[in-house]
Amino acid sequence: MFLPSVLAASSFVEVRPGLIFWTIVTFVLVMLVLRAKAWGPILSLVEEREKQISNAIESAKRERAEAEKLLADQKTAIAEARREAAEMMRRNTAEMEKFRDELMAKSRKEAEELKLSARREIDDQKAKAIAEVRAMAVDLAMDVASKLINERMDDSKHRQLAEQFVQGLPGATSATATRRSA
Amino acid sequence: MRKAMVLFACLFAGSVWASDQAGEHGYANEDKDAEGEDVAGYILHHVSDSNEYEFEIPLSNNHIPIHLPRIFIPLHEGACAPVADPHGGHGEVYPGLGAGCVDLSITKHTVMMWLAALILIGSLLIWSNRDKTKLVPRGTAANLFEMLVLFVRDELAIKNIGKEEGPRYVPYLLTAFFFILFMNLLGLFPWMASATGNIAVTCGLALCTFFVTQVAGIRAAGVGGYLKHLTGGVAPWLWPIMIPVEFLGLFTKPFALTIRLFANMLAGHIVIFFLLGLIFMLRNPAVALVSVPFAFGIYLLELFVAFVQAYVFTMLSALFIGMSVAMGHHHDDHGHAEGGASHDHGKAHHI
Repeated sequence: MFLPSVLAASSFVEVRPGLIFWTIVTFVLVMLVLRAKAWGPILSLVEEREKQISNAIESAKRERAEAEKLLADQKTAIAEARREAAEMMRRNTAEMEKFRDELMAKSRKEAEELKLSARREIDDQKAKAIAEVRAMAVDLAMDVASKLINERMDDSKHRQLAEQFVQGLPGATSATATRRSA
Repeated sequence: MRKAMVLFACLFAGSVWASDQAGEHGYANEDKDAEGEDVAGYILHHVSDSNEYEFEIPLSNNHIPIHLPRIFIPLHEGACAPVADPHGGHGEVYPGLGAGCVDLSITKHTVMMWLAALILIGSLLIWSNRDKTKLVPRGTAANLFEMLVLFVRDELAIKNIGKEEGPRYVPYLLTAFFFILFMNLLGLFPWMASATGNIAVTCGLALCTFFVTQVAGIRAAGVGGYLKHLTGGVAPWLWPIMIPVEFLGLFTKPFALTIRLFANMLAGHIVIFFLLGLIFMLRNPAVALVSVPFAFGIYLLELFVAFVQAYVFTMLSALFIGMSVAMGHHHDDHGHAEGGASHDHGKAHHI
């Protein structure tokens, strides 16, 4: 059996104080060198990168929100413009319509008035003509009558008689009334 | 530790087998035993520290020894005079620390440690991304380094210590991680050795963590809070019990760190050596068909273990520092009434 002798001779469990010392010295030196030359730069670089990434994400979010806001603004502006244009169009059409209506009404009224005055004129002239015709008829009748009976008649008496006679003629009522009122 | 058990089981089985063989074939007794002793001696010689570095010439039994400088600092006059070996061995030995002689000799593992440190510093300076103008690392090595750095920072430092205090200890944890990793990996190259397979080296590293942990505790809680924490937050009449327990607790953590790293690294190397040594112990080249693939598997496992052990050491360091930092916050909260010390101890003992 060599196991006991192996364990007895084993020097791997022997602790050398010198080696502990050198380990600590080496470790501290390595740490100082690496902290100055490697960890510092690497860690600051990593932090810088992380900051940049988070900044980029943040700004992208912000820009996107801004763009969305702008887009919404644009959309509302376009809708507003469209609505205004439609409104204006509508108003224009209405105005035109109104204007045309007014024009039409005015011209119609004028034509009416013209027609009315013309008719009145015609009526007047007609009444006048009728009256004249009547008067002429009376005179004629009186002349005819005087000639017929050959007798000088009291003027007013006979005239009244003639008028009565004319009154009896068909369609003379209105003319007589007109005359009477005149 | 599991691997250490496997190792000793192997050694034991080997020795039983050797004695059985000896019983059956009496003539082979001396020879076999000598062979076994030889292999075991060779393995132990290789994994343990020595005062010279042996450069083995491949395919021969020769090696070129390079004697490393021996440095002795006597604490008093004539303390370092060599004396005769008290164990009855031949030659002279130097007196130890107890006799007033500080042995600062450069040994094989010291050299390996320095080599690992130089390779670490060199590769970090050459391959890491330190150019301010390029925020994104380029190339495999720079990416790998940055990935590991970020892993140590985010997963170890910030998770265990906290967002506020964590970044302060990141340089320490990074150095510990990479230094241990490079020492572990160096042992996997031919002619090299793992300095972390030496208990003195791991003890030194654990002492660094111990120091940082205590400083972190004092920083977080103040000297008064730190001392109060040593009392465990119990009633004063319990202090005579509590203070020794807490004081012992301070040292169990670095002790666990020391033994874990040392045993893991040492055991892996011994298992590889033993698997290869089996060829010579059994004196049959056919054994190589089995033991070489096995040794290769263990080698790959070692590669993995090199990373895992660096991670575990760093993670536990971060955990201990985190517990010390938390000391400052907890004592203000729940004073002495309840078991104020319970917050850290449960966590520490799980690992």
